[in-house]
Amino acid sequence: MTVTPTSPADAGAGVVQPALGSRTRRLLYGSRTLAWLLLLPGLVMVVLFFLAPVVLTAAFSFTNMSTATGVSGGVYQVAPSSISRLKTALPDLADELSQPRYVIDQAGLDALGQTSVPKPLLDELAAKHMGEVFDNRRDAERMIKTLGGRPSTAVVKQISEAFNRSIVNARFSSKTALFEAIDGLGIKATPEQKETIADNTWTGWVWTTGNFERMFASKDALRTMLNTVFYVAMVLIIFNTAYAMFLAIATHYMPDRTSGFFRSLWLLPRITPPVIYVLMWKWVAWDNGFLSMLLAPFGVAPRNWLLDTGTNAWVFVILINGVVGASMGMLVFASALKAIPQSQFWASEVDGASRWQQIVHILLPQLRWPILFITCYQTLSLLASYDYILLATNGGPGGSTEVWSLAAYHTALFNYAGNLDYGYGAAMALVLVIIGITLALLYLRVFNYRALVSRPIIEH
Amino acid sequence: MRILLDHFSKSFGAVKVIEDMNLEIRDGEMLALLGPSGCGKSTTLFSICGIHRVSGGRILFGDNDVTNVPSQLRNVGVVFQSYALYPHMTVRQNIAFPLQVKGLAAADIKQQVSAIAALVHIEELLERRPAQLSGGQQQRVALARALIRKPDVLLLDEPLANLDAKLRLEMRSEIRRLQLETGITAILVTHDQVEAMSMCDRIAIMNAGEIIQIATPSEMYHDPRTEFVAGFLGNPPIAFLKGTAQDGAVLLDKSDIRIPLPGRGRPAGAGRVTLGIRPEDFGPQGDVQIPGTIVFVETQGRENLYDVRLADGGMLRSIQPVRGDLKVGDAVTWAAAGDKIMVFGEDGSRL
Repeated sequence: MTVTPTSPADAGAGVVQPALGSRTRRLLYGSRTLAWLLLLPGLVMVVLFFLAPVVLTAAFSFTNMSTATGVSGGVYQVAPSSISRLKTALPDLADELSQPRYVIDQAGLDALGQTSVPKPLLDELAAKHMGEVFDNRRDAERMIKTLGGRPSTAVVKQISEAFNRSIVNARFSSKTALFEAIDGLGIKATPEQKETIADNTWTGWVWTTGNFERMFASKDALRTMLNTVFYVAMVLIIFNTAYAMFLAIATHYMPDRTSGFFRSLWLLPRITPPVIYVLMWKWVAWDNGFLSMLLAPFGVAPRNWLLDTGTNAWVFVILINGVVGASMGMLVFASALKAIPQSQFWASEVDGASRWQQIVHILLPQLRWPILFITCYQTLSLLASYDYILLATNGGPGGSTEVWSLAAYHTALFNYAGNLDYGYGAAMALVLVIIGITLALLYLRVFNYRALVSRPIIEH
Repeated sequence: MRILLDHFSKSFGAVKVIEDMNLEIRDGEMLALLGPSGCGKSTTLFSICGIHRVSGGRILFGDNDVTNVPSQLRNVGVVFQSYALYPHMTVRQNIAFPLQVKGLAAADIKQQVSAIAALVHIEELLERRPAQLSGGQQQRVALARALIRKPDVLLLDEPLANLDAKLRLEMRSEIRRLQLETGITAILVTHDQVEAMSMCDRIAIMNAGEIIQIATPSEMYHDPRTEFVAGFLGNPPIAFLKGTAQDGAVLLDKSDIRIPLPGRGRPAGAGRVTLGIRPEDFGPQGDVQIPGTIVFVETQGRENLYDVRLADGGMLRSIQPVRGDLKVGDAVTWAAAGDKIMVFGEDGSRL
């Protein structure tokens, strides 16, 4: 039998209608509009705190922003570093740009006008040689010596110095200014060559795909990625699902009080502040810590167990994250187990199922959704969070426990050298986002999410 | 298979639910454990199938003492009130589960599932999941699952409680049919006396952890051992009148109505007694005249039920073929069949 749902409007028929305009009524009772209204705060949150950061990260990842470029604009500066870059593309021009030139211009004449250099000399210079460019000091001084009045060597040097024009380290706020300066120095360059000069002298950030090229070519990035896969897989499989499931099932078969005690015990790491929690692990691992003390009677030399080898560091990183991570799975699985009616346990018992068969055939299949949830949630959480690793090993020793998110943090926000590579860091973060979304979709596919949420076809 | 509870006791912590119960269920019979909520009938059932550990006494299946045998090895079939079907399995997988955990060959399982599905008429439902079944269909699946391993005893815990009235009627006869066809020993736990009487060979009526009486439905109805049993069985229920017995008759309280006592049930001397008169034993024909006023008429279709208030304030019920000449407020003098009147002593036991 099918039941036709009565709409609120039907229910109100015959009753005195509230004084609402038809438009208001449609807005409130039309489930479609109301649904959107109720969704709105959530949508705003998603846009503000998820979509916007992701879009910005994606944008940043296609730039070369760093401490050097800044995040706002930049200028054109023919700095020694830009000249050395330019040498590969335009060796001759780079050489020319790096050399000083002598340009007889009004600025130089004005400057000399303030000095003791005789006025007629300057007038002659202006009249005969205004606008001339000399490639080097020798040529310029030879010209000055030809002027009337035979200036002394000291005066010649004073005059030549006033017309010494170099583009090195000069800053230009626009391309046009840079090009004018180049032209003014008499350096011959084609428009293409000028563009190359502009590209190489720009101090601000530019759009580029270089971050990704760099990443895919980088051995460090590959190692970090392998570290991440290892870390996520180990913590997820050993602790967050398998061990959590073991705890949930073990406590499920215990009396209520005992199970409550054990579950609370396993929650302690989670409610302990991470800094203190990791500090306690460090106490265990330090060279004069618990572990060294315990092993001393057996002739084991004390050492820092956390950081002495990469393998040990991994053992601790996995333990530190796993002991915290197991509690969440335990809680979710335990409550899911509680939701299975007691009669199903009884029924399977009288059906002849051993405890193991009960777990395999009755419990686990019904925990598919919680297992999916924990796997999905914890994969993403492990991929994205690096707090415990940061506090425990900071990626060490020698980068052996450096995972992707920690590497992104180190690259973009905090590293020892102090040159923060925002663009490259953002590119790393973007890769993480893409991997996360791909994995989430894959999980939903594997666990057949559609079947999990489909409506039952109930007949009466 | 014969089931025997021998001085069986069960307590949960300090709470003693059943103490020293003796009960025999004969081979191939269907026995009802009937009683109000909390009387210990489900506890008894769960102890028989091994879900509850026994606190004292023995449970025997045939000649085997199964007291300490885990439920997995007892070979019992149980139908739970909620059916307890496994929601993630299809009907076929549900029914096959007891055989599957035994490790039977797939072909064997398939054949047995088909046979049992035919027996309970659910052949066309085998590939569905429990959530896609109606209550009655779920009930049939639960029955099939309970029966497939050919259990020594079939235990039914309030199997009809979750069904609507029409389905209840249908499944009542259906369960009885299956029990008779398979010849299995069965125990039905119920609080519904109609179910117990209509489905079972014998009824064990329980109250507060004790079995009050074991008898066939008809014996129990006509010859209840206590006032509790008389009151529990029968619909509409029996009516009770309080009075004092003297000289082979009972003088009802606060009135001059005297009711002569039947041959059976005369108290030895004078004393307080309770009389029980069933609605069908009180009407126009009879030998013991009792006057009263009609205070309520309940139309039941084929019959009418009249509530008659006596002068002393006591109430009698009369069920009669429909007649149109009576209405609320009419004074009537009807009569009870003297030999059908039941007499109970002060402690509730039948005299």
